[in-house]
Amino acid sequence: METLGYLMDGFGVALQPHNLMFALIGAFLGTLIGALPGLGPANGVAILIPLAFTLGLAPETALIMLTSVYAGAMYGGRISSILLNIPGDEPAMMTCLDGYPMAQQGKASEALAISAVASFMGSLIATIGLILLAPLLADFALTFGPAEYFALFLLAFATLGGITGKNPMKTVVAAAIGLMIATVGIDSTGVQRFTFGTLELYEGVDFIIAIVGLFAISELLFFIEEKAGGGKEKMVVNKLSLKWKDIREILPTSFRGGVLGFVAGVLPGAGASLGSFISYTLEKRVLGKKGYFGKGDPRGVAAPEAGNNGASSGALVPMLTLGVPGSGTTAVLLALLISLNITPGPLMFTQNADIVWGVIAALLIGNFLLLILNIPLVGIFVKLLSVPPMYLLPIVTMIAFVGIYSISNTIFDLYFMVAFGVGGYFLRKLEIPLVPIILGLLLGPEMEKNLRHAMDISDGDWTILWNSGLAIGLWVFAGLGLILPYIVGPILRRRMRATPDSGSPESD
Amino acid sequence: MTYNDRIFGILMIVLAVAYGWGTTQFPEPFGGSEAVGPDTFPRLLAIVLGLSSLYMVVRPDPDNAWPWSRTGIELIIAVVVLVLYAMFLQPLGFIISTTLAVGTLCWRMGSRPVKAYIIGAISGVVVYLVFNFALDLALPLGVLSFLEVG
Repeated sequence: METLGYLMDGFGVALQPHNLMFALIGAFLGTLIGALPGLGPANGVAILIPLAFTLGLAPETALIMLTSVYAGAMYGGRISSILLNIPGDEPAMMTCLDGYPMAQQGKASEALAISAVASFMGSLIATIGLILLAPLLADFALTFGPAEYFALFLLAFATLGGITGKNPMKTVVAAAIGLMIATVGIDSTGVQRFTFGTLELYEGVDFIIAIVGLFAISELLFFIEEKAGGGKEKMVVNKLSLKWKDIREILPTSFRGGVLGFVAGVLPGAGASLGSFISYTLEKRVLGKKGYFGKGDPRGVAAPEAGNNGASSGALVPMLTLGVPGSGTTAVLLALLISLNITPGPLMFTQNADIVWGVIAALLIGNFLLLILNIPLVGIFVKLLSVPPMYLLPIVTMIAFVGIYSISNTIFDLYFMVAFGVGGYFLRKLEIPLVPIILGLLLGPEMEKNLRHAMDISDGDWTILWNSGLAIGLWVFAGLGLILPYIVGPILRRRMRATPDSGSPESD
Repeated sequence: MTYNDRIFGILMIVLAVAYGWGTTQFPEPFGGSEAVGPDTFPRLLAIVLGLSSLYMVVRPDPDNAWPWSRTGIELIIAVVVLVLYAMFLQPLGFIISTTLAVGTLCWRMGSRPVKAYIIGAISGVVVYLVFNFALDLALPLGVLSFLEVG
């Protein structure tokens, strides 16, 4: 019952008027980001981080706003899946299967409303799961020593590509590059590493600059290359005629989807895409012939949406309790925590209890806000879908410039950001994932610190890294995370690809 | 064709070797060496990058096509615009440089030029006003600084 008390305190934080206001702004912006073409959730959250700083927000307020953005982006991603058959992000892929047929039958607003309800259910279930599981996991994580943490970080990198990932070796290359960038600067013993005498590099590479550059600038370049500036034709949605019965019908589906999604989100290497995929396939199997999946069954919209949103809240569990994010967007949220000087991990639950529980309460409130926001305002979001990227992306790029400039008021950072953007473009062309680079930048210092501590304890004996049962387990799972994609990956990918054609280049 | 991964792999091996060599150049930390010095972790990274890049050279994935010709030039233009934007942000001021940068980008992405620069100007003015008055954060005015009030 201790948890309940904390949660009540959390509501006390989240319900303060200004926090509530920023949660609302975040939810709105998030849906916008999810709906707009060419702005993935990770990208959107990254651009907003510097702005949250310039606003001088208190840590809990900044975090509440950006978690709302995160939750909102997951809501927004479904709009283009349903209306245009183009998934806004990878996890929204499965929503196309039944959402688009529904829209073609003139039931677009029903599909949107159903998916909003299912998203709400999924997030709600997963947030409750988060409330129950996170404190337990945090307690457990307190038993981790430095060697276990070192192995845990390896596990995080190894499973980042997910078991559906294409080429795990490229994840390793990316992780190594990210970690190398993290070593630039003055280390904890005061030694300069790879600074080449440049003053700007003494404090290392600011990961926010790297994230914004890698995501926002490379996205602009990709749009230019694909000549996708034209945008889509205007969409009109029919008037909503949703009966209580329709909602009641999808509730069991949403419930199952939410639970499955949560599990997929918590587990390393599964992620939101697999969450929505599993929910959809299971639902198809459970209902079998009774449904008309693939031809516009509302439950085919509800299942993947609940799964996808359940997974995105579930992904917060390892991020908050262990400080190890499992996806691009949670990695960006981790970046925010680190820049707010909050060390994520089990200690956060005791040292910054008000912030953690404030954020969790904000997730619950944010879900209600999003549901309220999404059903009546869906018309506005639909209109935004037809904003041509040729205007949108330059403006987004400009906002990224302003954000980065406002952190330090130096031009050097802007050049650096452009350089990261160009680098990101080349890496994406080579299909080298960007998220491990960012994770490397974020976790590098912690990883090295834990290695040092472990070595100090053992007096230089390397076997300490795999000396406990727990550490060995983590090593084994890390190994599996790299090997399994070669075995299971092709099969799973083929099944996921069987119906929808392609995903977007950016992962969740 | 599978040149991309091979070339990138070789470049990364070169980077790994250079980076690994760099770790041998660190000065001895004050107070003598410990079990894990400043060079231990980077050296591990150099080994990991070297081996994983070697794998890319040996088992490359199929190539994605590069945008040669027109599109490639458009990309270079975009990068040049971004660099110039950064360069002229302070001397020209935020509003003018934004008008030029956003306008050029919109235009090159397919908008009609007049409309593009109008969008650029509007977005520049709006963001300037929002930052200066709502967020209380001064962006440079540059050559427009005579407009400054108070």
